[in-house]
Amino acid sequence: MILSSEIQNETFDFHPHGGIFWRKKSLLLISDVHLGKVAHFRKFGAAVPRKAVHKNYVLLDEIVNLFSPFQICFLGDLFHSSLNKEWELFENWVAKTPSEIILISGNHDIISPHKFEQLGIPIFEELLLENFLLTHHPEEREGYFNFCGHIHPAIRLQGFGRQRLKLPCFFKTDSQMILPAFGEFTGTHVLQPKKNDEVFVIVENEVLKI
Amino acid sequence: MNQTELFEIAENWFTQQGWNPFPFQKKTWKAFLGGKHGLLNAPTGSGKTYALWFPIILNHIKKHPDYKTKHKKGLKAIWITPLRALSQEIKQSAEFVANDLETQMTVGIRTGDTSTKERARQRTTMPDLLITTPESLQLLLASKGYTKVFQDCSAIVVDEWHELLGTKRGIQMELGLSRLKTVCKDLRIWGISATIGNLEQAREVLLGPTSLAFENSVLVQAKLNKKITVKSIIPEQMETFPWRGHLGLHLLEEVVPIINNSKTTLLFTNTRSQCEIWFQKILEKHPEYAGEIAMHHGSVNKETRIWVEQAIRNESLKAVVCTSSLDLGVDFAPVETVIQIGGPKGVARFLQRAGRSGHRPGKESVIYFLPTHAMELIEASALQVAVKESAVEDRLPFLNSYDVLIQYLTTLAVSDGFYPDEIFPEIKQTFCYQGIIEDEWQWLLNFLVMGSQSLKTYDEYKKVEVESDGKFKVNNKGVAMRHRFQIGTIVGDASIAVRYQKGGYIGSIEEYFISKLTAGDVFTFAGRNLEFIRIKGMQAHVRNSTKRTNKVPSWMGGRLSFSAQMSKLLREELYTADPDNRKQSDEIKALLPMFQKQREESIVPKPDEFLIETFKTRDGYHHIFYPFEGRAVHEAMSSLLSYRISLLTPITCSLAFNDYGFEMLSDKPIDIQAVIDNNLFSTDYMLSDLQKSLNSNEMARRKFRDIAVISGMVFTGYPEKGVKMKHLQSSSQLLFDVFRDFEPDNLMFQQAFTETFEHQLEEGRLRLALERIAEQEIVWKQCKNPTPFSFPIITDRLREKLSNEKLADRIKRMTKILTK
Repeated sequence: MILSSEIQNETFDFHPHGGIFWRKKSLLLISDVHLGKVAHFRKFGAAVPRKAVHKNYVLLDEIVNLFSPFQICFLGDLFHSSLNKEWELFENWVAKTPSEIILISGNHDIISPHKFEQLGIPIFEELLLENFLLTHHPEEREGYFNFCGHIHPAIRLQGFGRQRLKLPCFFKTDSQMILPAFGEFTGTHVLQPKKNDEVFVIVENEVLKI
Repeated sequence: MNQTELFEIAENWFTQQGWNPFPFQKKTWKAFLGGKHGLLNAPTGSGKTYALWFPIILNHIKKHPDYKTKHKKGLKAIWITPLRALSQEIKQSAEFVANDLETQMTVGIRTGDTSTKERARQRTTMPDLLITTPESLQLLLASKGYTKVFQDCSAIVVDEWHELLGTKRGIQMELGLSRLKTVCKDLRIWGISATIGNLEQAREVLLGPTSLAFENSVLVQAKLNKKITVKSIIPEQMETFPWRGHLGLHLLEEVVPIINNSKTTLLFTNTRSQCEIWFQKILEKHPEYAGEIAMHHGSVNKETRIWVEQAIRNESLKAVVCTSSLDLGVDFAPVETVIQIGGPKGVARFLQRAGRSGHRPGKESVIYFLPTHAMELIEASALQVAVKESAVEDRLPFLNSYDVLIQYLTTLAVSDGFYPDEIFPEIKQTFCYQGIIEDEWQWLLNFLVMGSQSLKTYDEYKKVEVESDGKFKVNNKGVAMRHRFQIGTIVGDASIAVRYQKGGYIGSIEEYFISKLTAGDVFTFAGRNLEFIRIKGMQAHVRNSTKRTNKVPSWMGGRLSFSAQMSKLLREELYTADPDNRKQSDEIKALLPMFQKQREESIVPKPDEFLIETFKTRDGYHHIFYPFEGRAVHEAMSSLLSYRISLLTPITCSLAFNDYGFEMLSDKPIDIQAVIDNNLFSTDYMLSDLQKSLNSNEMARRKFRDIAVISGMVFTGYPEKGVKMKHLQSSSQLLFDVFRDFEPDNLMFQQAFTETFEHQLEEGRLRLALERIAEQEIVWKQCKNPTPFSFPIITDRLREKLSNEKLADRIKRMTKILTK
């Protein structure tokens, strides 16, 4: 179930997989996929279930098929590690995906930019689109609204009867939107919302505003 | 030399010391020299070291009549101790005898504390007797050419076997022994155990149920009838004695005369944090003890621990506040009195602690029990009966722990490699893996090599390789290094070294405690107030502080449960609270004000009554059930019951339990009448219901954590060594989810459930408990306020969660509260 919201008079769709779709630009924002993480662990002798490798591509296909975006922008940490054989799966996915793909580089993106360029994926440190600033690490810049990732935000909820829940979320402040990690097999970091912050939690394939 | 001559050597030595060997010592010598394996049941401080060290030497003398002039270097015996703190003590006694008898035998230690230099020296020449831990033994099996090192080893003694039995370190031991039985040409295996309920089984587990060693073995019991006196410290003002709590500081002043009247007193606490607090408070209230009392627990640095142990022997200390770190080994003759603070949660442990005092033959052991809250006085009373009847609990050994087996096989692959056909029969002989079938074995081998059950081209899984002749071998240096690091981490959380800025080492603390501190925070550790400065290179830097603080690091200690016997004794004590009963213990009499308070809103159950209490507080709706069956059974029963209730109506609740009962706390009231009407305490379909209930709570998830670490699927990093592997760290929680979604049939994942089921929940006892409840009348009291019985439970913050409601529904309810 998708939830839509206005930011700076533009309409954005929040997808429960963790992506944001900018309608006017037909631009899909996705952050922290951490592709290759499972393969990386396995290469080092940690037997994470192999089948989990494919899950990320299934999720990517689902969200891309739904929005059919003109462009997909990955907000960093697309690949978890140095080059491993999962790159081949990624190549296949890029080849069959009709959208244009761009990457804002993150701290985990240590694979040579040439490898991305060979696939026709340009890499940027940051991107300015109208009055929106796209980065990997959260940034504050006068006059811009920042879309970013890196944090893997989550929020803790408490209820009567000492109930507690921790859920991944989209975390919005006045000038910033931190996207949740898209990838399977990625952890989260709990944030404390302040008064003006808005939180959209992801729960059982739904996005709910808290 | 014949046996009589050999015995003469030993007895002469005893005479020189002015001692007489105990019958059990002679019996053990005889059995050992007769080629037997066995288990020696003897308490700490009874001379058990001499019972087994002597025959090892005598056997050596027998085989080398020219032992005084000629000496062939190399390992001849291994002494395993579960606590490395004990190794020094054992070394001293062993060297003492070896030197006196002019054997030229050397004694060495190899534990996590051993320096790299010493290790390297041992690599070229092993001492004749090696004192080591189960982990370090595994590490030896992970080194190249280990068969050569062990081939002339003639004896392995596993000390404090009861401590290892029923733990995964015990399985490591079983596996290590299974290998050494083949590698060592002429080996005797002996265990030493304190009294536990299942001694015969303990011998079977040590030696392997179908092995020749077990057939050719004996059980030697030291029958030292020692008088143990238990005295409860009963508060004079029962009205102001708290209903809950775990520190017991209210009774601090009562302890002072006991300390004053005795040469040396040991105060046993249940956790390290409690130990720190007691030490601080005694000094604060009684500064005159400065220099005369000390503290001893597992996180205090080695030098301090050794100093304290030495000071006890020199009689230079009045009192030592300690934890289970002083339970074992080390013999302290000067200890006259022992005080147990808070429930010891086990008769065996209580007896062992009592035995720390009055070591001299003929002296009685005195132990004081200091209750930390009112309900514990019932426990105190029950403990006295238990001591009289020696109602000691069993230690249940594990079965089919695939994680430890995976670790062991990797160990063998790291050193010299292994051939499955050679290893499988060895493993089949162990107790833990007696039921393993070919299919599972093949599954495990596949898992080692491919990290799954089938080969895929893009997969780069790398761990164990199969060489052309069928040998399983690790050839990758990184894999080998990570594995060696991981062997030591079979238990425990990541710990961080605490040091002064200038470098003095103080001890180690669990990482999660440090992570909560910010620079400038002051905390108490190792009896000092320390200001936290920073974390650097996996070390916490601190400086001394004069500020007062109430921050004390807590360590996640395992919570033990009452045995079936002890629970029964507890219930019987409680039933004597009946006002018509004339034969009440002092403890029960002292509790009268609390029982009166309890009766104001509720009842004190009689043998034929099963009590349920419900009330509301600002925390939520409390539903409390009192089976008095021990923590483990309550954990299982609460899981079962909440699952069955959830079938009637969607529910979210958190569960808490202690040895008296369990609580279901919910944000909505539960219909207790429906619970009674639908007969939810039935034993029908108990097994399948219990199994299903596990899916909806977090018990299995927690078990999986250890399994993932032991089997090498999660790396913990090695903070103390400064090795970080951030890029390979993931939480076992994440991994659990991935397995659930993608590989639920994985044996290691399945193991998390079977372990919960068999080891934690004690299904057999649950059935008996339910049958008992079926015969009782259910009394449901709707109270206005929490009752004294309920207090220790409802204030427990360590809880299980359970929910079968739709998450989205719960969140909507939660947000309503947030915005209210």
